[in-house]
Amino acid sequence: MSEKSTRRQFIDLSARIVGFAGIGTAAGLLTRRASGNVVYQVDSFKCTACDLCRTSCVLSLSAVKAVNDFDKCGYCMLCPAYYDVTSLPDEKGIPTGKVCPQDALKRRVVGKVDPEDPNNNYYEYVIDETRCDGCGKCVKACKPPAGNGSLRLEIRYARCVECNECAIQIACPDHAIVRVPTPGTAPMESTGERK
Amino acid sequence: MDSSEKEIGQAGLLERFRKSWFPPAAVVGAFAAFVAAAFRTRPAPRTAVQNPAPRNPDAGRRTSDVGRELPILQGNKPARPLDREYSQSAVLGGRGSAHPFQRSLAGIAVGTADRIYALGDGQIRVFDATGSLAAAWYVSENALCLTVAPDGRVCVGALGRVDVYDVKGVRIAGFAVGEAKQPAAVTAVKVFRQEILVADADARLIRRYDLGGKQLGLIGDKSKTGSFMLPNRWLDFDIDSKGIIRATDTGRHLMTAWTLDGTPVGSFGRFGMSDPADFVGCCNPVNLALTPDGKIVTAEKMVARVKVFEADGKLLAVIGPEHFDQSCTHIPLAVDSRGRILAGDPVQRQVKIFSPVAGAVKRMEQERS
Repeated sequence: MSEKSTRRQFIDLSARIVGFAGIGTAAGLLTRRASGNVVYQVDSFKCTACDLCRTSCVLSLSAVKAVNDFDKCGYCMLCPAYYDVTSLPDEKGIPTGKVCPQDALKRRVVGKVDPEDPNNNYYEYVIDETRCDGCGKCVKACKPPAGNGSLRLEIRYARCVECNECAIQIACPDHAIVRVPTPGTAPMESTGERK
Repeated sequence: MDSSEKEIGQAGLLERFRKSWFPPAAVVGAFAAFVAAAFRTRPAPRTAVQNPAPRNPDAGRRTSDVGRELPILQGNKPARPLDREYSQSAVLGGRGSAHPFQRSLAGIAVGTADRIYALGDGQIRVFDATGSLAAAWYVSENALCLTVAPDGRVCVGALGRVDVYDVKGVRIAGFAVGEAKQPAAVTAVKVFRQEILVADADARLIRRYDLGGKQLGLIGDKSKTGSFMLPNRWLDFDIDSKGIIRATDTGRHLMTAWTLDGTPVGSFGRFGMSDPADFVGCCNPVNLALTPDGKIVTAEKMVARVKVFEADGKLLAVIGPEHFDQSCTHIPLAVDSRGRILAGDPVQRQVKIFSPVAGAVKRMEQERS
């Protein structure tokens, strides 16, 4: 009898240990996921700027925005992401159309300004995030060999509402939305409005 | 063990289970699952308008496909018949060849007896006129350009320096290029008499050096902005027998001409997407070479193609984009003594040789006479 009791006690104790370990692991994983150190982000090597970021995000204005890497940017006068180079040129030979349908890509002259010949100026390109809807047309136009590839799409943490299942991630055919750790950067308070 | 003892044992287990932490844990777990499901942010229902594309049309495409959407490729034919024609006559170093470039093809040059010098895979490979490998030697892995002097010495440009090799591939000299804290991005190097001229795409200038590496002067600093405009960070040039330097000014879409002392003596070119004589995109032409009869050969990116111009800018020939991978960001060029154009495709890692067709050769001879 004492032998049976000992076996039951052993099984009981083992089950408790396994149960507590499982709950602890699950709690740890959930805590880590909820702690804000892992966020959704666009893998620019996989992204093809297919326009689904604009249409799939649960926000009315997508949390995905174009950003310009100034180290890569050529500061072109005829930026292929700014001008639609296939549009009709004006009398100075500059294309009249723009790539961004929202007019969210803005530019200004940097350095010495030559008002007579715009070809002598360098231009800095920035994105107006209040207008950018993440369609990625500029990103596509900036890709080499047309441009230097300085423009890319990024999920802005200030706008992302951190869905349990990102709708863009579900829709993305290139699996370009990934979870990335951001140590020491908790997501900022969301400013986005849901649809 | 009798039956009563077994019954007592089962009852004891049930009692133990009832008093253990399993039931409350199950209740808590079910409640947590309910809360998680209730507060889960659901994605907006997808409609045909929100998600019009069943699959991404760009998935699996290379960047080279981007250029094919441009109307320039359909309307690439010039309005008038051009004075020269070229046809592809040979390919060196491609896949399946005897000596393929495995990792890179950075530059090409033509030496004495029309021997072809190709820089790639951290090597210089020398091919004779029939395309057979005549020699090869290792150079810096990050070398980007090369040239062959009339006496057979080979100058190789890499980040921040130029190295000089003799005809057998033995390094005989070398010097640093650029400033102490700002090494030059050497994208082109040429030899003219007792000088070595180096394109510094970082400083956006051409630097003149003597054979010992002493800087003699700059070319390009007398332009309106004090340097070339190079959004694509690539500067190429060539020099004719009279000492006139032709250099690309990609941001301005210009082919510029300079004397050795740095005085600008002319330019031609403009941006345009429809006329084949124009230069497309943000920054073109990216490469150039001079023919023995003084014509200017240019290469463009975005619509990867090669064109031949008169010195005054009149378009003579177009070697169309069907010959090159459209993701090329530059096409190194060289011209041999017979007027054949050698164009490097860094993506396909091939040297493509274009020969003037018969009628064009006759016209060239007439022009020379």
